[in-house]
This record gives sequence, structure tokens and C-alpha cells, in this order.
Amino acid sequence: MEMLTFNATGGYLEGVVRGYRNSLLTSQTYSQLSQCETLEDLKMQLSATDYGNFLANEQPPITTSTIAEKATGKLVGEFQYLRDNATGPLREFLDYLTYAYMIDNLILLITGTLHERDTHELLDRCHPLGHFDGMEALCVATTVEELYNSVVVETPLAEYFKECLSASDLDDLNIEIIRNSLYKAYLEDFYNFTQRLGGTTAIAMGSLLSFEADRRTLNITLNSFGTSLTKEQRAKLFPSIGRLYPEGNNALARADDVDQVKQVCDMVPEYKAWWKEGGMGGGGGGGGEEGSEVEELEGKMFREETRLNRIETMCQFNYSPFYSWLKLKEQEIRSITWIAECIAQDARDRIGDFVHV
Amino acid sequence: MNGRGDHVPRVGNQESLYRSAQMSLVQIYMPTESAHAAVTELAQLGNVMFKDLNPDVTPFQRTFVSDIRRLDEMDRRVRFLQSQMEHEKVPVRPLESALPFLNFSTGGRRGPLQMDELSTKLREHEDRIGQMNGSYETLQRRLLELQEARHVLRETAVFFNQADGRHEHIRTSTDDDHAPLLDDMETGGGRGDNDSGFGGPAFDLEFVAGTIERSRMPTFERILWRVLRGNLYMNYAEIDETFDEPGKEEPVRKNVFIIFAHGQELLNKIRKIAESMSGTLYPIDSSSDKREAALRDVHSRIEDLNNVLFTTSATRRTELVKIAETLSAWADVVRKEKLVYATMNNFLFDSRRKTLIAEGWCPTFALQSIQLALQRAAENAGTNVPPVLQELKTKQTPPTYQLTNKFTAGFQSIVDAYGIAAYGEVNPGLTAVINFPFLFAVMFGDIGHGLIMTLTALAMVVYERRLSKLDGGEIFDMFFYGRYMILLMGAFSVYTGFIYNDIFSKSLNLFKTGFDWPANATGTVEAQPNGNVYLMGLDPTWHGADNNLVFTNSIKMKMSVVLGVLHMSLSICTQVPNFIHFGRPSSIITEFLPQILFLHCLFGYLVFMIIYKWSVDWYETDATGNLFRNNPPSLLNALIYMFLKPGQVEPEKELYSGQAFVQTVLLGLAFICVPWMLAAKPYLIWKEKQRTAGQGYSHLTATDEDEEEQLINGAGERVEGHGSGGEGGEEHGEEFGEVVIHQIIHTIEFCLGAISNTASYLRLWALSLAHAQLSEVLWTMTIQNVFGMTGITGALATVAGFAVWFAGTISILCGMEALSATLHAVRLQWVEYMGKSFIGGGTRFEPLSFEQE
Repeated sequence: MEMLTFNATGGYLEGVVRGYRNSLLTSQTYSQLSQCETLEDLKMQLSATDYGNFLANEQPPITTSTIAEKATGKLVGEFQYLRDNATGPLREFLDYLTYAYMIDNLILLITGTLHERDTHELLDRCHPLGHFDGMEALCVATTVEELYNSVVVETPLAEYFKECLSASDLDDLNIEIIRNSLYKAYLEDFYNFTQRLGGTTAIAMGSLLSFEADRRTLNITLNSFGTSLTKEQRAKLFPSIGRLYPEGNNALARADDVDQVKQVCDMVPEYKAWWKEGGMGGGGGGGGEEGSEVEELEGKMFREETRLNRIETMCQFNYSPFYSWLKLKEQEIRSITWIAECIAQDARDRIGDFVHV
Repeated sequence: MNGRGDHVPRVGNQESLYRSAQMSLVQIYMPTESAHAAVTELAQLGNVMFKDLNPDVTPFQRTFVSDIRRLDEMDRRVRFLQSQMEHEKVPVRPLESALPFLNFSTGGRRGPLQMDELSTKLREHEDRIGQMNGSYETLQRRLLELQEARHVLRETAVFFNQADGRHEHIRTSTDDDHAPLLDDMETGGGRGDNDSGFGGPAFDLEFVAGTIERSRMPTFERILWRVLRGNLYMNYAEIDETFDEPGKEEPVRKNVFIIFAHGQELLNKIRKIAESMSGTLYPIDSSSDKREAALRDVHSRIEDLNNVLFTTSATRRTELVKIAETLSAWADVVRKEKLVYATMNNFLFDSRRKTLIAEGWCPTFALQSIQLALQRAAENAGTNVPPVLQELKTKQTPPTYQLTNKFTAGFQSIVDAYGIAAYGEVNPGLTAVINFPFLFAVMFGDIGHGLIMTLTALAMVVYERRLSKLDGGEIFDMFFYGRYMILLMGAFSVYTGFIYNDIFSKSLNLFKTGFDWPANATGTVEAQPNGNVYLMGLDPTWHGADNNLVFTNSIKMKMSVVLGVLHMSLSICTQVPNFIHFGRPSSIITEFLPQILFLHCLFGYLVFMIIYKWSVDWYETDATGNLFRNNPPSLLNALIYMFLKPGQVEPEKELYSGQAFVQTVLLGLAFICVPWMLAAKPYLIWKEKQRTAGQGYSHLTATDEDEEEQLINGAGERVEGHGSGGEGGEEHGEEFGEVVIHQIIHTIEFCLGAISNTASYLRLWALSLAHAQLSEVLWTMTIQNVFGMTGITGALATVAGFAVWFAGTISILCGMEALSATLHAVRLQWVEYMGKSFIGGGTRFEPLSFEQE
């Protein structure tokens, strides 16, 4: 049934997003990019791709941040086009995608204000997709309640925020808690939304969001070791979806060290592979020193996410390609920025440590 | 037209539409010092298509990457200057007249020195403009601030005056600063605490004033209200003036706001929010005297700034006007240089011998002129070592280069839109020159409409020099490009119009008619033949007759089939020179012969029957007045029963005696053709293979690298042409089974196609009918109605009626109808004609040239 009616509303945009997806850089381009000697070379190489002349009007010398900024600008332009043309559930779906960026921006602003950074500088660093009305006023908030009452209550994040109102002061730990509980609420809400949509969207987005949830759960657990976060608090931050839920989450909530986390991951075959000994990871992320196991895990998770997204962009007649494209494109920009950074800082030995999209 | 094939040599080297030009693969060794000059000369000549000799090298690793990069930078500067021109609305001198302004100190020749000079020039200009822009922007920003300050001062003055005026009436509830704020609100906002200081020396009113973008106002208000929990009094006024904020496209509208609140902390919060929402705050003194002074001060400073701004802007404009003289010439130079260096990047660089090695295709007839160009280049570059040109022998398939002129270009583009012809194949564009407009005219036959079209096209042809300079937009350019095509289409339509005897749906009575109407008769009358034969086209007496439609339909339908069969036969015949050219004479017997036989046994015979039926007087009587012959038999039934009841023709439906026998023979021949087409060629291939295998050669494949390219280039050809017995050298790796399958598909396609394509030519009749009917309807519905009226109304109505009719004629008949007929003619050309013989799969010859698309 979906196949009959999908194209009436989403067909055009799916076509557009598929075109965008096909313009992602190939591994050949990546290998050529990593051969570049200077950023000028990189610019020339990129002009042969879909990025085209996005840097043509920049006055030399170009910097890594300009490249990242322009590339993000292109992504944002494409996303806005999709969103402006979307109707009905697709529009809602695309709106959901921006909430994640809103959360990031919110946290960025309040952390910045906490550390007394310049507001305009902070605003420049915000992701344009997560822009919301009254974002600027976040910098005057000093307590969680004030934060909620002054700005957040108007944004779509308000609902997610209710959970965090108990925390009173804004300090680094609390901000971290707010961020994670916002994310938890967001993921659960998004998950429920996609399940309500049903069909292929539910299946595809289910697996993507489950992965995202698991990744967050693992990250929270690993990062909470050695901090003042109690186990009960930690348990509250875990999203109640994902392949590790519920047993894995319970076990993780009780975990005390990395080994226990490893055991939990053994329950899921795909996750188990992350903990294999170094050198197996293919592409060898993060150096493989003794203490950097967790760091390496991060890279592997990115790879796994990319893999999942690549699979999901192949499904038709559903909304998951929009999500996957956005994630892949973001990853691509991260990779380009990484390469550019390596070139700029002359760290050629690490240039291969990016995630292929 | 077809006869031209006889005296054009097989490998023709003169300009001809018959086959694409003969190409040569050339290698040019250029010393590095003259390479640039050589490529420039060749690009001016526009006759060489260079190959990319380093396809594996990434763009940034090529030889001339630094030059390209420098040119990119220059290009960026040119674009920057152009955008400045646009912004300031300075007209840029067009390229043709700008070229004389391009004078370099290094003389007229283009070279690296010149580029250095241009680069410096561009940089200087950019820097200067950039500086001026910078100072202009700072000044403007200052002016903006001052203007805003002025507005804030004025508006706040209004607030304060109101407050003063109302002050007397307000009940002073309290002068305690620490009174509950809620009370203050109730008693008239923050003004409650004014009076403690009013009139006194210390006017400690607590407020924030400034400006903010109007669109952000609601958010601003809401946030303030929420953050301060309503503990504020806010007033704002809209500024009517718009501000041109530097860095923004649209002019910005702003609001002045003034907020009264209580307590230092709240004020700080307000300031912070206002600043983070990109509002601007201005310190305003609460004493009116000081405000007055500030306002005066601001006024005078605005005056000064305006003066400075004006001068800055004027200087910038002068600078831009100066640049505008030559800007387009610079842009042109940069574009050409970029093209030259990009081409040179495709060459192999031999660093040991300091030479560049280029490879590319060029038409053989142009070799001489290329040699000359290379010599010229050497002279220009001041070296005595000219680039060396060497012709290579190769098995690679050259690109297809159809030589056209302004007359044939339009027709060729129709053919090329279907596919690029294979190298050396008979170009369907040649026959299209006549066939295409003729088929169009068959559908568009009307003297009047044809004349309008011819005259329009003629005007475009006569004034083509003047019109080609004019930029008339995309649609006009399209028509202008096809002006010769339209000219022929129009002229042919006039001819077919004479045949149909149709001018704006009326008939011409030029010659003696062949029929007479009986005098003074009523009811249905029958015209009697009077022995005359109308000299050309349809007898005008048919016009208005009851059976006019029946008659014209029959004649047009039959004519369509006759034309269709001829058209298709021509297409099949063009295969013969192709087979000979590609060295596969056996295909004449295995493909051409059965095809032409099949077509003519069935539809050629139909054509014969049509013409025979026309030529016989079916109502001839013998001396006694008895009818000589049967009633005229239906041809459609004759054709159908030829298949259904072969060998039998009922005597009363007989067209001529012996019909049954002839039909059986023809049908038998057609049936024999099918297995002939199917099996003969695979059999020959198989036999050839057996023979080579028998002689002890086993599947000899060429070893040189050309072969791979040959396979790629030849792929398109093989799909249609199927090779033949390895003679064409393109059989390698092709399985015998594939040949058989191709042949089966081909046979089925041809046999079914012969039937459906013949039917498809009936569109000639259908469109011609539609055209005639539409034209008649337009006549009767508009202008015919006003002809009866008399007097002044009649005159006015005639003018109005004519206007409507003429507008309809132009837009509907000459516009829409012509487009639809063109479309159908294109289809006939592509599917029915080219589908039978076109090999295609060639690559277009795209020479390096400075000409812009």
C-alpha cells in the first residue's frame, strides 16, 4: 500500500534526496583528497565533485574552518530545500531531525554562558539547522527553571525538558545530565513517532534509532566511570529503546568498569566486534594504544553508523533515506574537515583516520 | 540525392554531408616555450580535439596546475569586480567594443608576461575597490549608528514629553524606590519613580533605550516579558525610514524601544538580551537639555558623514567606470587562458626533452591549416623550433565530424538529437534536408499558411546578419537557428497547398475546372465532368461538395501510404553504401535484399494497387452503355484477404486478371524473406568460423591496446550491425549465440516494424485532415459571419472579424499546428526512417575552440 501512495507526497523529495545521496564522495575521491599537498589542492579536487565551486569566491588563503563552514552551508541549503517542500508526516519527520541540533545548540549556549564566553561567538558556532527563535536569550539564564521558562518553553524541546526541571543549578555535571536526558526524551519521542508512521519507515528508522540509543547508552556508561554521577542517575539517562534495552541497560547501569561493558556488548553480535583486539577494526582508528580502547570504540561506532546508514539509504518508499543522508553528509563534512585539518597542520600520518562514507 | 553517393569517393575528403569528415589521429610535439602559442593558435582554428593523455592524474597533480590556480584567482577577481559593477549599476562595455581598450605594455601578443601584467592590474583594482568598500562600509555603519541614535533621541523625547505631560495627573502613590513593582505597574508603569527625581538635578530614571530589527520585535518582547516576569514597562515606536545595513541585501526596518525596569540586575539582563538579539543600545540622558544637545551634535555629525560618504562613493564609482571599460575584455582573456592551460594539462610532459606531447583528432582536410597554424605559433613565440606534427596510424574509432553550414546545421541537429552517427556511416542528415520539410509540408499543406511561414523565414534569412547580433531570448533564438529549415518547410507547404488546392481553407480556381454544375437545379445535384483536366492539384469544384471529405480523405490516405513506402525504401537503400563502406558486402545479400523484398512484396504491392486503381477508369462503358468493369474493389480488403485466403480472389472483387496468382507469388516471396533474414547471416558467420578453425587459426585476438578502445567504441555499432564474419574486425569475444539472438530480435523487429511503420505514415493524412478542418472551422466561425453585414456595422465587424481570424490563423494554425506537424515529422525521421538504417553510437567531434557556446 505504501508503494502505491508514497510517491504522491514523498516521491519528488525522495528523488531529490537520492540525488543528494549519490553525490556523496566516493572512496576514490577520498584517496585523491588525502594525496593533496595544500588546501588549495583540496579546493581544486573538491571542485571536481558535487561541491563544485563552493569555494570559488573565497579570498585566499582558505582555512579549514571556511571549508567546513561552506560545506555545512551547502548541507543546510539542501536540507532547507527538502524541508520547505515537504508536507504532512515527512515535514514532521524532517522537523524531528532538527531537534537534535537544537539540543546541541542549547547545550552549547548554556555551557558557553557558564564559562562566560562571548555570546556572539557562541551564536556563530551554533549549527544553523538547530536554530530556534529566542535562542539568543539563553545566555541570560542562570538556573534550569529560568532556562525553561524564558526560552525553552516556546520551542519543540519543551516537552523533553520537563524531565530535567528537578536539577537546580547549572554546572557542568548538570548540563551534561540535561543534555543526556533531553536526548533520551528526544530519541524516545522520535522513535515513537516513526513507529506510528509504520511500514518500512518504522522498520528502518527503528534500527537506526536503536543504534543511536545504544551508542548513547554505552557512551554515558563509559564516560560516567570516575565521575560523581550515581548509578541511579545514570540509569535514568539511558534511552528506553535500542537493542541493549532492557537487560543490557540494566547491566550497564550496574557496571563499574570497562570489562562489564564488554560483557554487555557481547549480547549483540555487531557490537561484540568492536571490542576485538586492535588491528581487527579495519582502517585502524585512533592509534590502538593501551588506554585508547574507548577512543577507538568511538571511531568504530561511527563506522558502524555509517554502514547502517548506507544500508538504509537503499530502501525505498520510506523516510529513512532522509535521516541517513543527513547523517552521511554530516560524516562526509567531518571527514573532509579532518583531511583539511591534517593537511593544514601537516599531520600526514593521521590523514587516513577518517570515516569513509 | 541518393545519387550523390556515386561520385563521392568512398573516403571523401571534401566537405560533404554524405559522410562525416575523414579524421586523422595526430601527435604534436611542442617545445615547452612555444606550446602556449601553439595551443592558442589551434584553439583559434578550432579544428583539433585533444585527448586526455593523463586520465589517471588528479587535477592538482598536472603540469600546469599553478597556472590554472593563478587564473582561477584572476577569475575570482574579475567576478568580484563584476559583482561590484552590478551592485553599483555601472554598465560594463560589451566585449566587441571593449577589446580595443585592451592594451598591454608588452605588445599585442598574448604570453606569460601579459598575464603577469593583467594579474597585477586585477589585484591592484581589487585592492583599491576593497579598500574603498571597507572605508565606505565603516562610514556607512557610523552613519547608521548616528541615524539610529537620532531616531532614538527623537522618539524617547516623545515618550518623556508624554510622561511629563501626564505626570501632573498621575497620582503619586509612593516615592519609595523599593515599593512593590506590581504596584508601580498598576499606577502607571515605571513612571511612578520618576517624580522623586523630576525637576531635581539627579534624574535617576532607570531605563534602556535602543533599536532593534522590526522582525525580531515580537520575540524580543516575549523573551523580555518571560525573563523579567513582567517586571518592565516597554514602549516602542516604528521608524519609518529604512536602513541600508552594509552586508545585507535588503534594506532593514527597525524599531526604537525604550524599556523601564527596576534594579540594576534586571537592567543588565535587558541589556544582555538586547545585545544578543543584535539590537543596538544608545545611552540616552534623561535630562531634556542634554538630549537636545546630543541631538544637535548628532545632526551635525550626520551632515559631515554624509559629505564624506558622498565623496567616497563618487571616487569608487569613477574607479569602477574606468574598470568597466575593459572588464569584459579581461574576463575574455582569462577565460581563453584558462582553456589553453586546461588543454595543456591534457598533454604528456617530457621533462627530459622539454617538450609537450599532444594527441588528438583532426579532420584530414585540415592538416595543412594546422601545420600553418603551428608554424605561425612558433614565429609568434619567437623560437625557431616549430612544433612537429605527425599523423598516426590507428585502429581507434575517430569521432564523428559532420561538416555543416548554416543551411544544413538545423537539419543535422535534428539527426544528432537522436544519436551521433557512427564514423563514416551515411549521414541521415543529408536526406533529412529535403525529406523532413517535405513530410512536414504534407501535414501542413496550405498556400496561405505556407506563405506566411516562408515570408517569416525569409525575413530572418535576409536580415540574418542584423538579427544574429540581437539577443532575442531563448525561443526566438531557437526559431532563428532553424530559419533555413522553416524556409524550406514554408516553401514546400505552399507547394502541397497547391496540390490540395487549399488557401486559408478556400480553393483557388486558376485553371479550367473539370466539372460543371448543372444549371438551375434544386436538391442534391451532381457535377458533370466536362472533359477538362485540372492542371495541377485538386479540382476547385470539389470545394464545398458534399463528398469532398470522402474524396480528399481517400486521396490523402493513399498518398500517405505511397510516400511512407518510398521513404522507408530510401532508408533501407542507404544501408547498401554503409555495407560497402564498412567492408561487409555479404550483408547486402543477407540483410538488404530480404528486407527490401519483404517490404515491397507486401506494401510495395499495395502501392502498386493504389496507383493501378487510380489509373483505371472504373466506370468506362462499352459501346452499348454497359459497364466495362466491376465496381472498384476495396484495397484494404484486397490486402487482408491476400493473407487470409491466399490464392483466391473473388471475381467481382478482382482488380485485374491474374491477381490471385501474383498475390500468391508475392506472399510466398515475403515468407521466404523471413527465414532468409533470420538464418543467412548467422550461417555465414558460422561457416567463416569453421573455415578459420579448419585452417588452424584459433580465435586470434589483437594484442595492442587499441583493441580495447575498439571494443568500447565499436559496441554501439555491434548492437545494430552485428558485424559479419570477423571481416570488420569487431567480432572478438562475441559468442555465436549472441549473434543468433540479435538476428532473431532484428528480424522480428523489422517484420513487425514494416507493418506498424506503414500504418504510422497515416499520420500524414490525419494531420493534414486536422489542419484543413481546423482552418475551415476558424474561417466559418469568425470571418464568414461578418461578410453578410452591411453599412458601418458591417465595416467595423469586418475589421474586428478579420483581426480575430488573423490572430487565430497565426497563433493556432501557423503556431500550434506547425509545431505539432514538426513534431510528427521529427518522429517520422527518427523512428520510421532512421530506425531502419541508422547505426549510430559515434562520439561527437568537439574541437578545442575559443568560440563561446
